[in-house]
Amino acid sequence: MMDRLRLLLPLAWRNLWRNPRRTIITVLVVSVGLWSILTFSVLLKAWSVSSRDTTLKLMTGEGQIHATGYLDDPTVAHRMTQPAGKLENILSSSAVAAYTKRLRIAAIVQSEYKTLPMTLVGTDPARERRLSVLPDRVREGRYLDGPADTGIVLGRNLARRLKTRVGKRVVVMAQDEKGKLAERAFKVIGLYAAPQQTEDQFAFTGLKTAQAFTGIGTDITEIAFVTPDSQDIADVIARMKASSPGRDIQSWKTLAPLSYAVSTFFNEFILMWLWIMFALMAIGIVNTQLMAVFERIREFGLLQALGMRPRLVLMEVTLESAMLIGVGVGLGIAMSVLSVQAFPNGIDLGFLGRGAELVGAGHILYPKVDAGDFALYSLIVWTLGVVATLWPARRASRVSPVEAMGRF
Amino acid sequence: MTAIVECKGITKHYRQGSIDVPALRGVDLAIEKGDFASLAGPSGSGKTTLLNIVGGLDRPTEGTISIDGQDLTALDNEELADLRLRKIGFVFQAYNLIPVLSAVENVEFTQQLMNVPAKERRERAKEMLHQVGLDGMENRRPSRLSGGQQQRVAVARALASRPSIVLADEPTANLDTKTAEDLITLMSDLNERYGVTFLMATHDDRVISRTRRHIVIADGRVASDELRPAEMAV
Repeated sequence: MMDRLRLLLPLAWRNLWRNPRRTIITVLVVSVGLWSILTFSVLLKAWSVSSRDTTLKLMTGEGQIHATGYLDDPTVAHRMTQPAGKLENILSSSAVAAYTKRLRIAAIVQSEYKTLPMTLVGTDPARERRLSVLPDRVREGRYLDGPADTGIVLGRNLARRLKTRVGKRVVVMAQDEKGKLAERAFKVIGLYAAPQQTEDQFAFTGLKTAQAFTGIGTDITEIAFVTPDSQDIADVIARMKASSPGRDIQSWKTLAPLSYAVSTFFNEFILMWLWIMFALMAIGIVNTQLMAVFERIREFGLLQALGMRPRLVLMEVTLESAMLIGVGVGLGIAMSVLSVQAFPNGIDLGFLGRGAELVGAGHILYPKVDAGDFALYSLIVWTLGVVATLWPARRASRVSPVEAMGRF
Repeated sequence: MTAIVECKGITKHYRQGSIDVPALRGVDLAIEKGDFASLAGPSGSGKTTLLNIVGGLDRPTEGTISIDGQDLTALDNEELADLRLRKIGFVFQAYNLIPVLSAVENVEFTQQLMNVPAKERRERAKEMLHQVGLDGMENRRPSRLSGGQQQRVAVARALASRPSIVLADEPTANLDTKTAEDLITLMSDLNERYGVTFLMATHDDRVISRTRRHIVIADGRVASDELRPAEMAV
């Protein structure tokens, strides 16, 4: 086999460069096609990750635990006790990178000018910081300094609509544990920046303050958690459900269906794009190789007349294709890597305004080369390209020496 | 004498639309070891068809053909390729060489197919190029060789695999007089010095006059087959 390769490799390589213009055009077709596949995959993946992170790192986390019925009716009537026993063991284990306990209830906030609906979230700021970016997005004033903090942190847009500001007071109304309306004044201690929908919806206070406000003791309504990168979220959730059958435990895929749909759609789009580009490339490659075979038909006749077996002729032409596509694939990978490295600080989608926000993406995409994806898509293109050229290669190998050479 | 090629009752018919065209009508022919033979005849007489069949490039409609006792009609395409590689050297009228290989690589090519070790085949190829007077041109590609030089490389390649017989089709057709004379002399020398068997299809009187055996094909049959003493071959 090695002897055969030593014979065929130089022959195939030199044959490639007999018509440099055609070879270069084919290499460009393959490389630009692969570049578009790889670059699209990187951008769409960055968009998908951005979309997921924007959702997950604001409030959702990768999974949430509630009392059964809370997601349909988010009031203190559907509260739960603090995690204990096996569930607490799992939350404290290495399977969970961080978790936070919240009291999250539908409420009404009132300023001296306006009354608006919102969701009041009582939380432990130290824990919240480990899975949410909101504590670091305070643009005016400060974030909560502990679970007993009695201040309230509002979204900037909610504050604007309420015509209130840091240092002023607002009144929050919500149902208490007996179903009666509880009412309390909170001092606005900070304003945070986030997508407008989040700014309008969520206001934060200390967990203990919220528990006292609603009179539910130490109960909570929500636990949000994130897992280490290596951890399979489905496995963690299965273990949690087994340890705590009375609770409603869901992954982000259920809690944030839009983000999940976006990432699924992107994966399918990449595959669809791969097939479209491959079909176009295949037409170009097969056409080129067929032309090359027809132009050299006398030569294939000569090779067979000299004693080269038909299957070696097939191998020789296939090797030419493999090299040709291989060069194109190599160039395509290099172009893609350079394209990604051209944006070391990410791609600013600010020009899209709220458009990007509406589909859940952040303002900046961070494209990253995924060696696994690059290898997979490149291998698919190379393999399918070589398979497509088996047709012209087969024609070359089935040439009759007498007919090919015209005469003896 | 030992017969290298034996043709018995060879017929070959081609279809042209619905018409059956006979090219060979029962050829019996034996080529002996050491023959330096020409195969002549008018265009359409069947000499090319016969050479194709002797070379294992085409199959007869009827009859048997054997080379060194091996029946060609029983072989499939892969086996025929192997037989051509090991038993037959070819010198074609044109388009003789592989354009992307140098002269020495062209000569090595058939040996490489036969898995001859690299050092041995390179030495043999250089020796063959020396024999055909192409010292110093080993690394030239065909595009940098004249027509005569290309034919010499083809002869060197045909001999390098040490075949039982060399088949040449109009080897001088594209060459000028001087180059053609040189090539004939070269082949004649190789025949006399090393006993290489040659069968050449040709119209060229210069070739015919130098061969010791002269076979004429007419209407698909052997019309004459005459042996001439060496001294009569000019």
